[in-house]
Amino acid sequence: MKHGFESFSDVFAFRDNRFSRIDPRLKLGGTIVAMLAVLLSDSIILPSGSFMICTGMMLWLKIPCRLVLAKFAFPLLMAGMIGLLKTFLSGENVLFAIQIGTWQLTAAREGAAEGILIASRVLGAVSLMLLFSMVTPMHKILLALRWARVPQTWVETAMLMYRYIFVLIDQTENVFSSQRMRLGYLGMRRSLASLGALAGRVIERSLNQASRTHQAMSTRGYNGTIPVGKLPPLASRDVLAFTFFFITVTFAFLWLEGYLL
Amino acid sequence: MNKQAGKKAIELKGVSFCYQGGNRAIDLVDFHVANGEFAAVLAPNGSGKTTLLKLLVKLLIPHEGEIYLNGTDIDEFSKNDLFQRIGLVLQNPNDQLFAATVEEDVAFGPRNLGLTDNEVEERVDRALHYVGAEKLRERAIHQLSFGEQKRVSLAGVLAMHPSVLVLDEPTAGLDPSGEARMLRLLHRLNKDHDITIVMATHSVDMLPLFVDRIYVLKNGFVLKEGAPQVVFNDRESVDSASLRLPYISQFFDELKIHDGVPVNGLPLTIREARLIIMELIPPECITRTSRKSRF
Repeated sequence: MKHGFESFSDVFAFRDNRFSRIDPRLKLGGTIVAMLAVLLSDSIILPSGSFMICTGMMLWLKIPCRLVLAKFAFPLLMAGMIGLLKTFLSGENVLFAIQIGTWQLTAAREGAAEGILIASRVLGAVSLMLLFSMVTPMHKILLALRWARVPQTWVETAMLMYRYIFVLIDQTENVFSSQRMRLGYLGMRRSLASLGALAGRVIERSLNQASRTHQAMSTRGYNGTIPVGKLPPLASRDVLAFTFFFITVTFAFLWLEGYLL
Repeated sequence: MNKQAGKKAIELKGVSFCYQGGNRAIDLVDFHVANGEFAAVLAPNGSGKTTLLKLLVKLLIPHEGEIYLNGTDIDEFSKNDLFQRIGLVLQNPNDQLFAATVEEDVAFGPRNLGLTDNEVEERVDRALHYVGAEKLRERAIHQLSFGEQKRVSLAGVLAMHPSVLVLDEPTAGLDPSGEARMLRLLHRLNKDHDITIVMATHSVDMLPLFVDRIYVLKNGFVLKEGAPQVVFNDRESVDSASLRLPYISQFFDELKIHDGVPVNGLPLTIREARLIIMELIPPECITRTSRKSRF
């Protein structure tokens, strides 16, 4: 369960470094622009370039390699699965074939290319998102979202989820440990029963937590909306930097996609 | 000095409250705290402490009786008006701290009051200063220690500028130094800023150092009330409420009962105990040093 907490931990976002000092709106805008370019790209250069640059930056920012790998584990698995499925399920030109008993699995060239492209898009986009989350504290992301006129209800819900996910992880960890210490996970049958009880307990606690938090908020004048602070006005230097980034990404995208030839 | 000093800040007259299922948590309680007073509600678990505190801030509505705040029935206050006069700090800071960072959480109340950004900033500064949490301002709530969370949750309520502060077990879960720090902080808020304080607690050892009045609650009714000396000298009430005397008093009580040591009254603090011991020790056996007592 320790790993669960670590993958949710945002301790690195609170570190002071060159990237964390950039205005969150610019980082948000930049990430969205780069992500669009990665997702719309038909060549693997831009997505894999984005993956390598972002991963390199995270390591340069001294984010532990183990944590970066842990965060990439699930997207890598997905990307690998998509790549394999595409390779074996679509395309006509045979790349290679594998004989398994009476079965023959045939990998196709077009399928492999398509699979690699999708996998690279997944990794490129995820790495962008990871880098963004590693250099921007959540509350600043939420302020940037409010600035971008994302519906208030959505932002408030995200804020409360972010705050209480750590409390619930803690509580889940405690209940889980207490069940494990009393041999609650000995054998499949018992494990399922314990897991069911754990899930029920967490739901019950989250409902209780919600009710207590609402009471506490109402004693501080809560009237249905959570007023949040404002970000300082954007400096013209920041706007210029964003414009430069936007032009660079757009140019790279158009060039790599062959629109400029 | 507060002009209102001595007048009743909070008054409960014959208040009763039942939870669903008929469990009578509060039973015909008469209770009052004067302006500028530091009062403690002392009771074992399940005696209705938290219910009583929630009644004070209108989070629960009594089934019988009236509750007055500075002489006015609390039903006459709008909720926003009431919460600017009386603030509640819950026992578990996780129930109270919902924002992502300390600053955002402390600013929540002032922003709800519709104050300008500068006023909000000023209130946040001051509240964090009161609780000694200025350095925590930019920190994420989930990265704070339990003691820090307790102080920040207090700051969030102080930012509303209440004249009465109601706290549910503010020292629960704190280490001994954290407990002393929290009580000293409350004492300072009470004495320096004229904030009337009502707290539910189990910290019997520290209470005599700080509080003016103690209410002993048992099964939802007030068993005993008065200054710490009055309450702790009534051993029968303390025992019947499943509470205990401060350890230092227990020690002298044992000396008195079992060893016949001639002690007048029971000391409630280490300072009082020291004075009693000094009276009992012949002066020629004493070597004086200049070290001051921490208590």
